[in-house]
Amino acid sequence: MSLTKGAVGEDFVEVRLPADGAYLSVLRTATAGLAARLDFTIDEIEDLRIAVDEACAMLLAQVVADTELHCRFTLAAPTLTVEVTAPTRYGKVPARDTFAWTVLTALAGEVTATVDSDQHLTITLRKTAEGAA
Amino acid sequence: MVDPTANDVVRDAGREAERDRARGMLAELAALAPEDPRRGPLRDALVEVHLPLVEHLARRFRNRGEPLDDLVQVATIGLIKSVDRFDLERGVEFSTYATPTIVGEIKRHFRDRGWAVRVPRRLQELRLHLSTATAELSQQLGRAPTVHELAERLGRSEEEILEGLESANAYSTLSLDVPDQGEGDSPAVVDSLGSEDEALAGVEYRESLKPLLERLPPREKRILLLRFFGGMTQSQIATELGISQMHVSRLLARTLTKLRADLLVEE
Repeated sequence: MSLTKGAVGEDFVEVRLPADGAYLSVLRTATAGLAARLDFTIDEIEDLRIAVDEACAMLLAQVVADTELHCRFTLAAPTLTVEVTAPTRYGKVPARDTFAWTVLTALAGEVTATVDSDQHLTITLRKTAEGAA
Repeated sequence: MVDPTANDVVRDAGREAERDRARGMLAELAALAPEDPRRGPLRDALVEVHLPLVEHLARRFRNRGEPLDDLVQVATIGLIKSVDRFDLERGVEFSTYATPTIVGEIKRHFRDRGWAVRVPRRLQELRLHLSTATAELSQQLGRAPTVHELAERLGRSEEEILEGLESANAYSTLSLDVPDQGEGDSPAVVDSLGSEDEALAGVEYRESLKPLLERLPPREKRILLLRFFGGMTQSQIATELGISQMHVSRLLARTLTKLRADLLVEE
């Protein structure tokens, strides 16, 4: 895990872990800890934690075996951005017309998914602390 | 190898059709007078159409020490509330509106239940303090507290609070917490199984029952699902449907008899 000071009040935390469901709890814990730093309410933390879980589940569904899941958190109060990236087999953007997507957008706020030329799929969640603001 | 994209197209088309149907029903429901007898069946149908969403969300909280059945049950209550409160004028998809309500209901369930899992005593005590402080602060602030606020109130470090919250989620063990293999693509699983399966898990005749269930009238099917899949009592179902418990009992008995008979014929 590495932490970098950004230029203008932005901090980055990066986590790389095996693309395997067994490691997702690490990401959930990291998400909770970082969201707490930005003064998210405990409800918002729980929402984001589920959203991260859901996003990773989407990635893992088409991930190339024995590769890494790359997760980058950007802390820019009051917004936490979580980008999860992994190499995929099909390079397919998740359909927006699924329950999983609904869950993501309902819980995380802003969600985008992109695929690059190497079939790396990135799902980006942006959630802004509202409760305590 | 099957082309996954082709599968998805089919699936999306199916879901789109389902959404259109739900939209139509919601509009119809909104247009009915409060006393209209057609409201009940329409409301039931709407709930039923969205049961896969309920199950999907409930699954996100499994392995935290509460049986999935219970989670599906409380999640279904959230869904019913959503159907009742949904306002077409808002211009949002129903599922988008319903999701936070359903999740909220599940979270409340965890808050109310305390625990079902073995957790070190130190954490149990912390959790107890946390839930009291959360309730008090929520009352005072009119929103959920932040970790910082909880730490201040309890005179603990933020790290301890996080630890307490984590344990409250009762992630039992790492290995249990892993999503089932191949289950990562949950929507597909939901699509392929249908919510009935959960209810009938462990029932020997599962495969043969499924087509029979599909043939049931909506209300009978709903009662069956709520009773066996949602784990609701007959009285709870009666309250939900606005009919007497005796009536529920009769409908259940009749439906089960019919199912059994059909099953024998099919065999």
